[in-house]
Amino acid sequence: MNMCIAYALLVTILSAWFPVGAVEPIAVITAVSNPLNTLSFDALGLIYLRKSQMDMEGNRWVPLNLPVNDPLRRSFSLALFSMLPEEQDDYWNIQYFNGISPPKVMASEEAILRFVASTPGSIGYVGKQKVDGRVKMLLLITSPPPK
Amino acid sequence: MRVFTLFNLLVAALSMVLIPITAVANEVDGGYRLGTGYSVGETGLRVGGYASTQINVPRSAPWSFEVSDLSLFLTWDNGSRLHFFSELEAGELLSAGSHQSLGVQNAQFDFERFYLDSLVNNNLTVRLGKFLTPVGEWNLIHAAPLVWTTFRPVATQNLFSTHASGLMLHGSVNVVNRQFEYSVYGDVTDNIDPHRSKNSFDNALGAHLRYFLNDTLQIGASAADFVLHDLQSTRYYLAGLDVAWSYKKFELSSELVYRTSDHANIPSTGQGFVQSVAPISQHWFIVGRYEFFEQIQNKTGQVGLLGLAYRPLPPIIWKLDYQLGSHNETLAPDGFSASFAILF
Repeated sequence: MNMCIAYALLVTILSAWFPVGAVEPIAVITAVSNPLNTLSFDALGLIYLRKSQMDMEGNRWVPLNLPVNDPLRRSFSLALFSMLPEEQDDYWNIQYFNGISPPKVMASEEAILRFVASTPGSIGYVGKQKVDGRVKMLLLITSPPPK
Repeated sequence: MRVFTLFNLLVAALSMVLIPITAVANEVDGGYRLGTGYSVGETGLRVGGYASTQINVPRSAPWSFEVSDLSLFLTWDNGSRLHFFSELEAGELLSAGSHQSLGVQNAQFDFERFYLDSLVNNNLTVRLGKFLTPVGEWNLIHAAPLVWTTFRPVATQNLFSTHASGLMLHGSVNVVNRQFEYSVYGDVTDNIDPHRSKNSFDNALGAHLRYFLNDTLQIGASAADFVLHDLQSTRYYLAGLDVAWSYKKFELSSELVYRTSDHANIPSTGQGFVQSVAPISQHWFIVGRYEFFEQIQNKTGQVGLLGLAYRPLPPIIWKLDYQLGSHNETLAPDGFSASFAILF
């Protein structure tokens, strides 16, 4: 119980000390060829939960993540789900039982940029500063929206 | 010139070695990882499964030990609109008891699930094959590593077939900014069931609906009209409700089912449970459950359960349960049960 309280306190203090949006805006990106120009926050959440599987063109969405310990991944997860990646383990265990895999994990933001640029239907996120002409930005996450 | 050529050769050799490493390093979750299975390159194939073992010590019956499940998942999803999934299960692979030495005499093999999903659009998927019957929540996630108790509530399996073979339409739509999930299924033939299950449907038509009221609360409703294979052409009608709330690591869930029939000698039957889970530290959880079950040839059974669960890693769980009740000898006898389960 003490560990649990200490953990909750730590998360609260860290969240207050390093506000997610204040660190770096997160750009949600897709291939330039994708006809979609914007994406809602809720739609993005469904894509990353693998509940929304197809884009407007009928291509399967291929959501991409950074490794669990990457600060940008943690900020993205907190902003989108109000949860750290490891707090979603139960959800992904159930999905695994149903034959559904979590988003692919790429090694770096550059790897995400390269994959998104060359793969229709793929969607990922990088720091806003990293966005270049190879990809199209769908959404900019500057702070966690109210839940 | 010779040095240049050697340098070029060295660069070429290094490139041949390093380029594949760089390519692999771009994606870090290829290969095997505990709890997510083994991904076979870029084929779209994934192999995994789960295993569980348990010791039962009923109060008024001999003890028993069994490797209760060894399930193998095979998934194929290459990014197209088709998706295949199968689960081959070996039940009671190894068993022993106070009157039986350790052996494989009770082992049985069964295709728990075997289906092809075809994604029509974002709101509709067509499933053909053998699948878990969508009545309530527990039956859909019944695997030992995913549930908190070794003992399974009677209401989650007693009044209907836990599997159906046929066609299912399922998906989700957005209703008032919240997700509404549906499953509608029909079971008309055993021909696509690779190994007929016990107590299977002869034919069935049913549906399950689930609505997410917010991020922590979901409610569901089930309905089914069916004939069971082993019972002579009696038609049953089933209705069910389920609710699940979870916040952080706290959980509260309940399922109720009510079954009636067109046969005058078979009384209507209601069963249900309510279960709570609370963390007592980061990896330890305490579980409490109350269940009741009307029975055709006995008075209404009631059972209370107290359980302890230790989850050192998300895919691994150790459990210890004790349950005690009345009129429960046949379906949920008093006693202890301890188990270990792992998703691999």
